[in-house]
Amino acid sequence: MNIAPNRVEIHNEWDIVRARQSGRERAKELGFGHVDQARIATAISELARNIYLYAKHGEIIISVIDGEKRGISIIAEDNGPGIRDLRKAMEDGYTTSGGLGAGLPGVKRLMDDFDIVSEEGQGTKITAKKYLR
Amino acid sequence: MNLNILHEKKVDGGELLTISGELDAYTAPKLKETILPLVDVERASVTLDLKDTDYMDSTGIGVIIAAYKQSCKRNGTLVVQNLTPRVSRLFDITGLSEIITIDDIKKEETT
Amino acid sequence: MIDHKELYQHYRKLLIEHMERKSEKTLYNGQLFSRQMMENGVSPEDVLSLHIDVIKEFYPHMDEKFQSAFDFLLEAMIGYGLAYREHQNLRYKQRQLESEIDIAADVQQSLLVGEVPHYDFLDIGVISRPAKRMSGDYYHFVKDEQNCLSVAIADVIGKGIPAALCMSMIKYAMDSEPEQRTKPGAVLENLNRVVEQNVDPSMFITMFYGLYNESQHRLYFASAGHEPGFYYSSNKDEFQELIAKGRVLGLDRSTKYREYEKNIDVGDMVILFSDGVTECRTEKGFIERDEIVRLIRQRMHLSSQEIVDGVYKELERLQDFQLRDDFTLIILKREV
Repeated sequence: MNIAPNRVEIHNEWDIVRARQSGRERAKELGFGHVDQARIATAISELARNIYLYAKHGEIIISVIDGEKRGISIIAEDNGPGIRDLRKAMEDGYTTSGGLGAGLPGVKRLMDDFDIVSEEGQGTKITAKKYLR
Repeated sequence: MNLNILHEKKVDGGELLTISGELDAYTAPKLKETILPLVDVERASVTLDLKDTDYMDSTGIGVIIAAYKQSCKRNGTLVVQNLTPRVSRLFDITGLSEIITIDDIKKEETT
Repeated sequence: MIDHKELYQHYRKLLIEHMERKSEKTLYNGQLFSRQMMENGVSPEDVLSLHIDVIKEFYPHMDEKFQSAFDFLLEAMIGYGLAYREHQNLRYKQRQLESEIDIAADVQQSLLVGEVPHYDFLDIGVISRPAKRMSGDYYHFVKDEQNCLSVAIADVIGKGIPAALCMSMIKYAMDSEPEQRTKPGAVLENLNRVVEQNVDPSMFITMFYGLYNESQHRLYFASAGHEPGFYYSSNKDEFQELIAKGRVLGLDRSTKYREYEKNIDVGDMVILFSDGVTECRTEKGFIERDEIVRLIRQRMHLSSQEIVDGVYKELERLQDFQLRDDFTLIILKREV
Protein backbone atom coordinates (compact mmCIF):
# COMPACT_ATOMS: atom_id res chain seq x y z
CA MET A 1 0.00 0.00 0.00
CA ASN A 2 1.19 3.47 -0.81
CA ILE A 3 1.77 5.15 2.53
CA ALA A 4 3.27 8.43 1.39
CA PRO A 5 1.06 11.30 2.56
CA ASN A 6 -1.24 12.76 0.00
CA ARG A 7 -1.30 16.55 -0.19
CA VAL A 8 -4.21 18.41 -1.71
CA GLU A 9 -3.97 22.17 -2.04
CA ILE A 10 -7.23 24.01 -1.50
CA HIS A 11 -7.93 27.04 -3.66
CA ASN A 12 -11.46 26.48 -4.94
CA GLU A 13 -14.50 24.27 -4.56
CA TRP A 14 -13.16 21.64 -6.96
CA ASP A 15 -10.24 21.14 -4.61
CA ILE A 16 -12.71 20.27 -1.87
CA VAL A 17 -13.99 17.43 -4.05
CA ARG A 18 -10.45 16.26 -4.80
CA ALA A 19 -9.58 16.21 -1.10
CA ARG A 20 -12.72 14.23 -0.27
CA GLN A 21 -11.98 11.72 -2.98
CA SER A 22 -8.41 11.26 -1.94
CA GLY A 23 -9.46 10.70 1.67
CA ARG A 24 -12.19 8.26 0.74
CA GLU A 25 -9.86 6.19 -1.41
CA ARG A 26 -7.26 6.02 1.32
CA ALA A 27 -9.93 5.07 3.88
CA LYS A 28 -11.20 2.34 1.59
CA GLU A 29 -7.69 0.93 1.07
CA LEU A 30 -7.21 0.87 4.83
CA GLY A 31 -10.36 -1.19 5.23
CA PHE A 32 -12.81 1.35 6.71
CA GLY A 33 -16.45 0.39 6.24
CA HIS A 34 -18.93 2.31 4.12
CA VAL A 35 -20.24 4.54 6.88
CA ASP A 36 -16.80 5.43 8.15
CA GLN A 37 -15.65 6.21 4.63
CA ALA A 38 -18.54 8.61 4.32
CA ARG A 39 -17.74 10.12 7.73
CA ILE A 40 -14.10 10.63 6.84
CA ALA A 41 -15.06 12.22 3.51
CA THR A 42 -17.50 14.54 5.29
CA ALA A 43 -14.89 15.57 7.85
CA ILE A 44 -12.39 16.37 5.08
CA SER A 45 -15.11 18.27 3.30
CA GLU A 46 -15.81 20.44 6.34
CA LEU A 47 -12.13 21.15 6.93
CA ALA A 48 -11.45 21.97 3.28
CA ARG A 49 -14.53 24.15 3.15
CA ASN A 50 -13.38 26.13 6.17
CA ILE A 51 -10.05 26.76 4.43
CA TYR A 52 -11.80 27.78 1.22
CA LEU A 53 -14.27 30.11 3.01
CA TYR A 54 -12.07 31.77 5.63
CA ALA A 55 -8.42 31.38 4.67
CA LYS A 56 -8.87 31.23 0.87
CA HIS A 57 -5.80 28.98 0.48
CA GLY A 58 -4.46 26.06 2.42
CA GLU A 59 -3.65 22.40 2.33
CA ILE A 60 -5.17 19.08 3.34
CA ILE A 61 -2.68 16.32 4.08
CA ILE A 62 -4.00 12.78 4.26
CA SER A 63 -1.77 10.06 5.63
CA VAL A 64 -1.88 6.55 7.03
CA ILE A 65 -1.29 5.92 10.71
CA ASP A 66 0.73 2.71 10.86
CA GLY A 67 1.40 2.20 14.53
CA GLU A 68 -0.12 0.14 17.28
CA LYS A 69 -3.48 1.24 16.01
CA ARG A 70 -3.99 1.67 12.30
CA GLY A 71 -5.99 4.53 10.94
CA ILE A 72 -6.11 7.67 8.89
CA SER A 73 -4.84 11.12 9.73
CA ILE A 74 -6.07 14.35 8.19
CA ILE A 75 -4.21 17.60 8.63
CA ALA A 76 -5.77 20.85 7.49
CA GLU A 77 -3.37 23.75 7.48
CA ASP A 78 -3.67 27.36 6.36
CA ASN A 79 -2.08 30.76 6.87
CA GLY A 80 -5.44 32.51 7.09
CA PRO A 81 -6.83 34.87 9.71
CA GLY A 82 -6.87 32.23 12.44
CA ILE A 83 -9.60 31.69 14.99
CA ARG A 84 -9.82 34.21 17.78
CA ASP A 85 -11.96 32.28 20.22
CA LEU A 86 -11.31 28.56 19.94
CA ARG A 87 -13.60 27.70 22.81
CA LYS A 88 -16.44 29.39 21.01
CA ALA A 89 -15.58 27.79 17.66
CA MET A 90 -15.68 24.38 19.33
CA GLU A 91 -19.09 25.06 20.88
CA ASP A 92 -22.18 23.38 19.53
CA GLY A 93 -24.69 25.65 17.90
CA TYR A 94 -22.06 28.25 17.09
CA THR A 95 -21.46 28.38 13.40
CA THR A 96 -20.69 31.21 11.04
CA SER A 97 -21.59 29.27 7.90
CA GLY A 98 -25.09 28.40 9.04
CA GLY A 99 -24.80 24.60 8.88
CA LEU A 100 -26.67 22.47 11.38
CA GLY A 101 -24.35 20.25 13.35
CA ALA A 102 -21.52 21.09 11.01
CA GLY A 103 -18.39 23.09 11.70
CA LEU A 104 -15.51 22.03 13.91
CA PRO A 105 -17.58 20.24 16.58
CA GLY A 106 -19.02 18.17 13.72
CA VAL A 107 -15.55 17.20 12.52
CA LYS A 108 -14.60 16.26 16.06
CA ARG A 109 -17.64 13.99 16.30
CA LEU A 110 -16.95 12.30 12.98
CA MET A 111 -13.38 11.44 13.92
CA ASP A 112 -11.75 9.78 16.95
CA ASP A 113 -9.03 12.32 17.70
CA PHE A 114 -9.10 16.04 17.15
CA ASP A 115 -6.52 18.71 17.80
CA ILE A 116 -6.43 22.35 16.82
CA VAL A 117 -3.79 25.05 17.02
CA SER A 118 -4.64 28.54 15.84
CA GLU A 119 -2.96 31.89 16.12
CA GLU A 120 -4.85 35.03 15.22
CA GLY A 121 -3.41 36.52 12.05
CA GLN A 122 -1.13 33.56 11.43
CA GLY A 123 -3.28 30.60 10.58
CA THR A 124 -4.80 27.38 11.77
CA LYS A 125 -3.63 23.78 11.92
CA ILE A 126 -6.15 21.05 12.61
CA THR A 127 -5.24 17.38 13.02
CA ALA A 128 -8.02 14.81 13.00
CA LYS A 129 -7.58 11.06 13.20
CA LYS A 130 -9.78 8.03 12.86
CA TYR A 131 -8.77 4.49 13.79
CA LEU A 132 -9.83 1.14 12.46
CA ARG A 133 -11.85 -0.84 14.96
CA MET B 1 -43.06 42.28 14.40
CA ASN B 2 -40.59 44.15 12.32
CA LEU B 3 -38.45 47.20 12.44
CA ASN B 4 -37.15 49.07 9.42
CA ILE B 5 -34.45 51.66 9.62
CA LEU B 6 -33.89 54.08 6.78
CA HIS B 7 -30.56 55.88 6.99
CA GLU B 8 -30.16 59.13 5.01
CA LYS B 9 -27.77 62.07 4.95
CA LYS B 10 -29.44 65.40 5.45
CA VAL B 11 -28.59 68.46 3.35
CA ASP B 12 -26.83 70.00 6.34
CA GLY B 13 -24.60 66.93 6.66
CA GLY B 14 -26.46 65.46 9.63
CA GLU B 15 -27.59 61.85 9.82
CA LEU B 16 -31.28 61.03 9.62
CA LEU B 17 -32.68 57.71 10.78
CA THR B 18 -36.32 57.05 10.00
CA ILE B 19 -37.76 54.19 11.95
CA SER B 20 -40.88 52.31 11.12
CA GLY B 21 -42.49 49.38 12.84
CA GLU B 22 -42.19 48.25 16.44
CA LEU B 23 -39.33 49.05 18.72
CA ASP B 24 -39.29 46.41 21.43
CA ALA B 25 -36.96 43.96 23.14
CA TYR B 26 -36.56 41.97 19.92
CA THR B 27 -35.92 44.83 17.50
CA ALA B 28 -34.14 47.33 19.77
CA PRO B 29 -30.69 45.71 19.27
CA LYS B 30 -31.00 46.49 15.56
CA LEU B 31 -31.47 50.19 16.26
CA LYS B 32 -28.68 50.08 18.83
CA GLU B 33 -26.24 48.69 16.27
CA THR B 34 -27.17 51.38 13.77
CA ILE B 35 -27.34 54.44 15.99
CA LEU B 36 -24.43 53.95 18.40
CA PRO B 37 -21.67 54.22 15.76
CA LEU B 38 -23.38 57.36 14.39
CA VAL B 39 -23.41 59.21 17.71
CA ASP B 40 -19.92 57.98 18.58
CA VAL B 41 -18.39 60.64 16.33
CA GLU B 42 -17.19 64.03 17.60
CA ARG B 43 -19.92 66.69 17.14
CA ALA B 44 -22.19 64.38 15.17
CA SER B 45 -25.71 65.55 14.47
CA VAL B 46 -28.21 62.70 14.47
CA THR B 47 -31.96 62.92 14.00
CA LEU B 48 -34.30 60.10 14.83
CA ASP B 49 -37.66 60.23 13.09
CA LEU B 50 -40.29 58.12 14.85
CA LYS B 51 -43.40 59.06 12.88
CA ASP B 52 -43.95 55.46 11.75
CA THR B 53 -42.98 53.84 15.02
CA ASP B 54 -46.27 52.26 16.06
CA TYR B 55 -44.99 50.87 19.29
CA MET B 56 -42.10 51.39 21.62
CA ASP B 57 -41.39 49.76 24.95
CA SER B 58 -38.84 50.47 27.65
CA THR B 59 -36.09 48.63 25.73
CA GLY B 60 -36.52 51.16 22.92
CA ILE B 61 -36.28 54.00 25.44
CA GLY B 62 -33.09 52.34 26.73
CA VAL B 63 -31.46 52.50 23.30
CA ILE B 64 -32.39 56.16 22.94
CA ILE B 65 -30.94 56.89 26.39
CA ALA B 66 -27.70 55.10 25.48
CA ALA B 67 -27.50 57.10 22.23
CA TYR B 68 -28.21 60.34 24.08
CA LYS B 69 -25.49 59.68 26.65
CA GLN B 70 -22.93 58.82 24.00
CA SER B 71 -23.88 61.86 21.95
CA CYS B 72 -23.37 64.12 25.01
CA LYS B 73 -19.95 62.58 25.61
CA ARG B 74 -18.90 63.38 22.05
CA ASN B 75 -20.41 66.88 22.10
CA GLY B 76 -22.94 65.94 19.46
CA THR B 77 -26.64 66.57 19.15
CA LEU B 78 -29.43 64.05 19.12
CA VAL B 79 -32.88 65.15 18.03
CA VAL B 80 -35.98 63.00 18.12
CA GLN B 81 -38.90 63.99 15.94
CA ASN B 82 -42.50 63.14 15.17
CA LEU B 83 -43.52 61.16 18.21
CA THR B 84 -46.84 59.35 18.12
CA PRO B 85 -49.08 60.08 21.14
CA ARG B 86 -48.22 56.75 22.74
CA VAL B 87 -44.48 57.26 22.37
CA SER B 88 -44.79 60.89 23.40
CA ARG B 89 -46.44 59.83 26.66
CA LEU B 90 -43.56 57.41 27.30
CA PHE B 91 -41.06 60.26 26.80
CA ASP B 92 -43.00 62.41 29.25
CA ILE B 93 -43.30 59.77 31.96
CA THR B 94 -39.62 58.83 31.83
CA GLY B 95 -38.53 62.48 31.88
CA LEU B 96 -36.73 62.04 28.57
CA SER B 97 -38.68 64.89 26.98
CA GLU B 98 -36.97 67.29 29.42
CA ILE B 99 -33.46 66.50 28.29
CA ILE B 100 -33.69 65.33 24.68
CA THR B 101 -34.61 67.82 21.98
CA ILE B 102 -37.93 66.85 20.44
CA ASP B 103 -39.01 68.33 17.12
CA ASP B 104 -42.46 67.97 15.79
CA ILE B 105 -42.32 68.62 12.09
CA LYS B 106 -45.84 67.38 11.47
CA LYS B 107 -47.26 70.04 13.77
CA GLU B 108 -45.24 72.78 12.10
CA GLU B 109 -46.49 71.73 8.70
CA THR B 110 -50.14 71.85 9.67
CA THR B 111 -50.00 75.19 11.43
CA MET C 1 -23.87 1.32 23.61
CA ILE C 2 -25.35 -1.71 21.93
CA ASP C 3 -23.02 -4.15 20.30
CA HIS C 4 -22.96 -3.79 16.52
CA LYS C 5 -23.52 -7.49 15.88
CA GLU C 6 -26.47 -7.62 18.21
CA LEU C 7 -27.92 -4.56 16.53
CA TYR C 8 -27.45 -6.10 13.14
CA GLN C 9 -29.18 -9.33 14.14
CA HIS C 10 -32.07 -7.46 15.68
CA TYR C 11 -32.60 -5.19 12.71
CA ARG C 12 -32.20 -8.09 10.30
CA LYS C 13 -34.90 -10.06 12.08
CA LEU C 14 -37.36 -7.15 12.08
CA LEU C 15 -36.69 -6.27 8.47
CA ILE C 16 -37.09 -9.87 7.26
CA GLU C 17 -40.31 -10.21 9.21
CA HIS C 18 -41.62 -7.15 7.50
CA MET C 19 -40.49 -8.14 4.02
CA GLU C 20 -42.14 -11.54 4.37
CA ARG C 21 -45.30 -10.70 6.24
CA LYS C 22 -45.76 -6.98 5.66
CA SER C 23 -48.30 -5.86 8.23
CA GLU C 24 -49.04 -2.93 10.51
CA LYS C 25 -47.61 -5.00 13.35
CA THR C 26 -44.22 -5.42 11.65
CA LEU C 27 -44.15 -1.70 10.90
CA TYR C 28 -44.98 -0.94 14.51
CA ASN C 29 -41.95 -3.04 15.48
CA GLY C 30 -39.89 -0.76 13.26
CA GLN C 31 -41.13 2.26 15.16
CA LEU C 32 -40.27 0.69 18.50
CA PHE C 33 -36.84 -0.17 17.14
CA SER C 34 -36.18 3.43 16.17
CA ARG C 35 -37.03 4.60 19.65
CA GLN C 36 -34.66 2.05 21.13
CA MET C 37 -31.94 3.22 18.71
CA MET C 38 -32.38 6.83 19.76
CA GLU C 39 -32.23 5.94 23.43
CA ASN C 40 -28.90 4.31 22.71
CA GLY C 41 -27.60 7.27 20.75
CA VAL C 42 -27.44 5.44 17.42
CA SER C 43 -27.16 7.89 14.52
CA PRO C 44 -29.42 7.81 11.46
CA GLU C 45 -26.49 6.90 9.20
CA ASP C 46 -25.78 3.86 11.36
CA VAL C 47 -29.35 2.67 10.94
CA LEU C 48 -29.11 3.19 7.21
CA SER C 49 -25.84 1.28 7.17
CA LEU C 50 -27.53 -1.67 8.94
CA HIS C 51 -30.23 -1.54 6.32
CA ILE C 52 -27.76 -1.61 3.45
CA ASP C 53 -25.87 -4.52 5.00
CA VAL C 54 -29.03 -6.61 5.42
CA ILE C 55 -30.15 -5.88 1.86
CA LYS C 56 -26.73 -6.82 0.54
CA GLU C 57 -26.90 -10.12 2.39
CA PHE C 58 -30.16 -10.91 0.68
CA TYR C 59 -29.28 -9.56 -2.71
CA PRO C 60 -25.56 -10.19 -3.09
CA HIS C 61 -25.78 -9.38 -6.77
CA MET C 62 -27.46 -6.04 -6.31
CA ASP C 63 -27.56 -3.87 -9.37
CA GLU C 64 -24.57 -1.50 -9.33
CA LYS C 65 -26.69 1.59 -9.87
CA PHE C 66 -28.92 0.51 -7.01
CA GLN C 67 -25.86 0.14 -4.83
CA SER C 68 -24.67 3.64 -5.80
CA ALA C 69 -28.05 5.04 -4.89
CA PHE C 70 -27.63 3.65 -1.37
CA ASP C 71 -24.17 5.19 -1.13
CA PHE C 72 -25.64 8.52 -2.10
CA LEU C 73 -28.31 8.27 0.59
CA LEU C 74 -25.71 7.30 3.16
CA GLU C 75 -23.68 10.39 2.33
CA ALA C 76 -26.74 12.56 2.69
CA MET C 77 -27.55 11.04 6.08
CA ILE C 78 -24.15 11.83 7.60
CA GLY C 79 -25.20 15.47 7.96
CA TYR C 80 -28.43 14.46 9.65
CA GLY C 81 -26.45 12.30 12.02
CA LEU C 82 -24.28 15.26 12.98
CA ALA C 83 -27.28 17.49 13.49
CA TYR C 84 -28.87 14.75 15.61
CA ARG C 85 -25.86 14.40 17.86
CA GLU C 86 -25.48 18.13 18.17
CA HIS C 87 -29.10 18.29 19.18
CA GLN C 88 -28.54 15.66 21.88
CA ASN C 89 -25.65 17.65 23.26
CA LEU C 90 -27.51 20.94 23.15
CA ARG C 91 -30.41 19.36 24.98
CA TYR C 92 -28.08 18.24 27.69
CA LYS C 93 -26.61 21.74 27.91
CA GLN C 94 -30.05 23.25 28.02
CA ARG C 95 -30.99 21.09 30.98
CA GLN C 96 -27.84 22.24 32.74
CA LEU C 97 -28.62 25.89 32.07
CA GLU C 98 -32.18 25.47 33.18
CA SER C 99 -31.17 24.03 36.49
CA GLU C 100 -28.73 26.91 36.93
CA ILE C 101 -31.50 29.40 36.21
CA ASP C 102 -33.81 27.60 38.64
CA ILE C 103 -31.27 28.08 41.39
CA ALA C 104 -30.76 31.74 40.45
CA ALA C 105 -34.52 32.28 40.43
CA ASP C 106 -34.76 30.79 43.93
CA VAL C 107 -32.00 33.10 45.13
CA GLN C 108 -33.81 36.02 43.60
CA GLN C 109 -37.12 35.04 45.14
CA SER C 110 -35.52 35.00 48.55
CA LEU C 111 -34.25 38.56 47.91
CA LEU C 112 -37.48 39.82 46.46
CA VAL C 113 -40.14 38.45 48.65
CA GLY C 114 -40.20 40.56 51.72
CA GLU C 115 -42.91 40.26 54.24
CA VAL C 116 -45.91 42.45 53.65
CA PRO C 117 -46.45 44.30 56.91
CA HIS C 118 -49.77 44.17 58.64
CA TYR C 119 -51.66 47.26 59.78
CA ASP C 120 -55.15 47.74 61.18
CA PHE C 121 -55.63 50.93 59.24
CA LEU C 122 -54.31 49.72 55.91
CA ASP C 123 -55.25 46.74 53.77
CA ILE C 124 -52.35 45.79 51.50
CA GLY C 125 -52.46 43.50 48.47
CA VAL C 126 -49.49 42.55 46.27
CA ILE C 127 -48.90 40.31 43.31
CA SER C 128 -45.63 40.05 41.38
CA ARG C 129 -45.08 37.56 38.57
CA PRO C 130 -42.08 37.31 36.25
CA ALA C 131 -42.65 37.01 32.47
CA LYS C 132 -39.85 34.47 32.30
CA ARG C 133 -38.19 32.75 35.21
CA MET C 134 -36.55 35.77 36.76
CA SER C 135 -38.05 39.16 37.36
CA GLY C 136 -36.88 42.70 36.70
CA ASP C 137 -39.67 44.07 38.87
CA TYR C 138 -39.00 44.91 42.46
CA TYR C 139 -41.15 46.00 45.37
CA HIS C 140 -40.62 46.41 49.03
CA PHE C 141 -42.47 47.45 52.14
CA VAL C 142 -40.81 48.67 55.29
CA LYS C 143 -42.58 49.46 58.54
CA ASP C 144 -40.68 51.85 60.78
CA GLU C 145 -40.82 52.75 64.47
CA GLN C 146 -43.23 55.62 63.95
CA ASN C 147 -45.71 53.27 62.30
CA CYS C 148 -44.92 54.78 58.92
CA LEU C 149 -44.93 52.52 55.91
CA SER C 150 -42.50 52.99 53.07
CA VAL C 151 -43.47 51.35 49.83
CA ALA C 152 -41.34 51.08 46.70
CA ILE C 153 -42.04 49.63 43.31
CA ALA C 154 -39.35 49.51 40.64
CA ASP C 155 -39.07 48.20 37.14
CA VAL C 156 -35.75 47.43 35.53
CA ILE C 157 -35.75 47.84 31.76
CA GLY C 158 -36.02 44.59 29.90
CA LYS C 159 -36.69 41.27 31.54
CA GLY C 160 -35.08 38.01 32.45
CA ILE C 161 -31.61 37.51 33.85
CA PRO C 162 -29.98 40.89 33.06
CA ALA C 163 -32.90 42.75 34.60
CA ALA C 164 -32.86 40.44 37.61
CA LEU C 165 -29.15 41.06 38.23
CA CYS C 166 -29.75 44.78 38.12
CA MET C 167 -32.68 44.43 40.45
CA SER C 168 -30.49 42.76 43.08
CA MET C 169 -28.26 45.83 43.01
CA ILE C 170 -31.24 48.08 43.69
CA LYS C 171 -32.27 45.89 46.55
CA TYR C 172 -28.89 46.28 48.25
CA ALA C 173 -28.72 49.99 47.56
CA MET C 174 -32.13 50.39 49.20
CA ASP C 175 -31.13 48.36 52.24
CA SER C 176 -28.01 50.40 52.78
CA GLU C 177 -29.70 53.74 53.37
CA PRO C 178 -32.29 53.36 56.09
CA GLU C 179 -31.92 56.89 57.45
CA GLN C 180 -33.34 58.53 54.33
CA ARG C 181 -36.45 56.43 54.09
CA THR C 182 -38.58 59.27 55.32
CA LYS C 183 -37.72 61.48 52.33
CA PRO C 184 -38.88 59.92 49.07
CA GLY C 185 -37.10 62.51 46.92
CA ALA C 186 -33.78 61.92 48.68
CA VAL C 187 -34.12 58.15 48.38
CA LEU C 188 -34.52 58.43 44.62
CA GLU C 189 -31.63 60.91 44.33
CA ASN C 190 -29.30 58.48 46.07
CA LEU C 191 -30.43 55.51 44.04
CA ASN C 192 -30.06 57.55 40.88
CA ARG C 193 -26.39 58.11 41.64
CA VAL C 194 -25.85 54.42 42.33
CA VAL C 195 -27.53 53.39 39.10
CA GLU C 196 -25.80 56.07 37.03
CA GLN C 197 -22.41 54.86 38.20
CA ASN C 198 -22.91 51.15 37.99
CA VAL C 199 -25.15 50.33 35.13
CA ASP C 200 -24.75 49.97 31.39
CA PRO C 201 -25.85 53.18 29.59
CA SER C 202 -28.82 51.53 27.91
CA MET C 203 -30.08 50.04 31.17
CA PHE C 204 -32.37 52.14 33.31
CA ILE C 205 -34.77 51.74 36.15
CA THR C 206 -38.06 53.39 36.93
CA MET C 207 -39.22 53.63 40.50
CA PHE C 208 -42.05 54.94 42.60
CA TYR C 209 -41.26 55.55 46.23
CA GLY C 210 -43.89 56.44 48.79
CA LEU C 211 -44.10 56.99 52.52
CA TYR C 212 -47.42 56.55 54.26
CA ASN C 213 -47.62 58.52 57.47
CA GLU C 214 -50.13 56.96 59.81
CA SER C 215 -50.69 59.90 62.16
CA GLN C 216 -51.46 62.24 59.26
CA HIS C 217 -52.88 59.61 56.91
CA ARG C 218 -50.94 61.25 54.19
CA LEU C 219 -48.86 59.71 51.43
CA TYR C 220 -45.59 61.43 50.53
CA PHE C 221 -44.20 60.21 47.26
CA ALA C 222 -41.82 60.73 44.39
CA SER C 223 -41.35 59.00 41.07
CA ALA C 224 -38.40 58.32 38.82
CA GLY C 225 -40.12 57.95 35.47
CA HIS C 226 -42.38 55.21 36.77
CA GLU C 227 -45.70 54.40 35.13
CA PRO C 228 -48.18 56.57 37.09
CA GLY C 229 -50.39 54.68 39.49
CA PHE C 230 -53.94 55.50 40.49
CA TYR C 231 -55.51 57.18 43.46
CA TYR C 232 -59.09 56.24 44.24
CA SER C 233 -61.11 58.82 46.09
CA SER C 234 -63.99 57.19 47.94
CA ASN C 235 -65.60 60.57 48.53
CA LYS C 236 -65.89 61.34 44.85
CA ASP C 237 -65.98 57.67 43.86
CA GLU C 238 -63.45 58.27 41.13
CA PHE C 239 -60.03 57.08 40.01
CA GLN C 240 -57.35 59.68 39.33
CA GLU C 241 -53.85 59.36 37.96
CA LEU C 242 -51.28 59.53 40.71
CA ILE C 243 -49.09 61.97 38.88
CA ALA C 244 -45.48 62.50 39.89
CA LYS C 245 -42.84 63.78 37.53
CA GLY C 246 -39.21 62.68 37.59
CA ARG C 247 -36.54 61.26 35.34
CA VAL C 248 -35.78 57.56 35.22
CA LEU C 249 -32.90 56.39 37.42
CA GLY C 250 -29.59 56.31 35.60
CA LEU C 251 -30.33 59.04 33.08
CA ASP C 252 -28.59 62.04 34.59
CA ARG C 253 -26.61 62.01 37.79
CA SER C 254 -27.67 65.43 39.08
CA THR C 255 -31.40 64.80 38.86
CA LYS C 256 -33.53 66.17 41.72
CA TYR C 257 -36.81 64.51 42.54
CA ARG C 258 -39.83 66.50 43.55
CA GLU C 259 -41.85 65.26 46.46
CA TYR C 260 -45.64 65.11 46.22
CA GLU C 261 -48.26 64.42 48.86
CA LYS C 262 -51.81 63.22 49.03
CA ASN C 263 -54.30 62.91 51.86
CA ILE C 264 -55.76 59.47 52.17
CA ASP C 265 -59.30 59.20 53.57
CA VAL C 266 -61.06 56.12 54.80
CA GLY C 267 -61.94 53.92 51.81
CA ASP C 268 -59.36 55.57 49.54
CA MET C 269 -56.96 53.41 47.57
CA VAL C 270 -53.47 53.82 46.18
CA ILE C 271 -52.76 51.55 43.23
CA LEU C 272 -49.21 51.03 42.02
CA PHE C 273 -47.99 48.84 39.20
CA SER C 274 -45.19 48.09 36.77
CA ASP C 275 -45.58 48.66 33.03
CA GLY C 276 -46.12 44.93 32.62
CA VAL C 277 -49.66 45.71 33.72
CA THR C 278 -50.32 48.48 31.20
CA GLU C 279 -48.31 46.87 28.42
CA CYS C 280 -50.55 43.83 28.46
CA ARG C 281 -51.29 42.95 24.89
CA THR C 282 -54.29 41.08 23.64
CA GLU C 283 -55.50 40.24 20.16
CA LYS C 284 -57.46 43.48 20.15
CA GLY C 285 -54.47 45.60 21.10
CA PHE C 286 -53.13 47.02 24.32
CA ILE C 287 -55.01 47.01 27.55
CA GLU C 288 -55.85 50.63 28.19
CA ARG C 289 -55.53 52.14 31.62
CA ASP C 290 -59.31 52.53 31.72
CA GLU C 291 -59.60 48.80 31.42
CA ILE C 292 -57.42 48.31 34.51
CA VAL C 293 -59.64 50.76 36.39
CA ARG C 294 -62.70 48.82 35.26
CA LEU C 295 -61.20 45.53 36.47
CA ILE C 296 -60.42 47.04 39.87
CA ARG C 297 -63.81 48.69 40.17
CA GLN C 298 -65.57 45.36 39.59
CA ARG C 299 -63.77 43.97 42.64
CA MET C 300 -63.80 46.91 45.02
CA HIS C 301 -65.89 45.09 47.61
CA LEU C 302 -63.11 42.53 48.03
CA SER C 303 -59.90 42.69 50.05
CA SER C 304 -56.83 44.27 48.44
CA GLN C 305 -55.17 40.89 47.98
CA GLU C 306 -58.29 39.48 46.36
CA ILE C 307 -58.44 42.47 44.03
CA VAL C 308 -54.83 42.15 42.81
CA ASP C 309 -55.16 38.38 42.41
CA GLY C 310 -58.41 38.79 40.49
CA VAL C 311 -57.02 41.50 38.18
CA TYR C 312 -53.93 39.40 37.49
CA LYS C 313 -56.00 36.33 36.63
CA GLU C 314 -58.19 38.33 34.30
CA LEU C 315 -55.25 39.95 32.49
CA GLU C 316 -53.41 36.65 32.28
CA ARG C 317 -56.44 35.11 30.62
CA LEU C 318 -56.84 38.03 28.21
CA GLN C 319 -53.24 37.49 27.09
CA ASP C 320 -53.69 33.76 26.56
CA PHE C 321 -51.56 33.03 29.62
CA GLN C 322 -48.43 34.49 28.08
CA LEU C 323 -46.98 37.40 30.00
CA ARG C 324 -44.91 39.68 27.80
CA ASP C 325 -43.39 41.58 30.67
CA ASP C 326 -42.90 41.19 34.40
CA PHE C 327 -46.12 42.01 36.23
CA THR C 328 -46.41 43.70 39.62
CA LEU C 329 -49.56 45.21 41.09
CA ILE C 330 -49.90 46.70 44.57
CA ILE C 331 -53.03 48.05 46.25
CA LEU C 332 -53.14 49.97 49.54
CA LYS C 333 -56.60 50.63 50.93
CA ARG C 334 -57.23 52.74 54.04
CA GLU C 335 -59.57 50.85 56.34
CA VAL C 336 -60.05 53.14 59.35
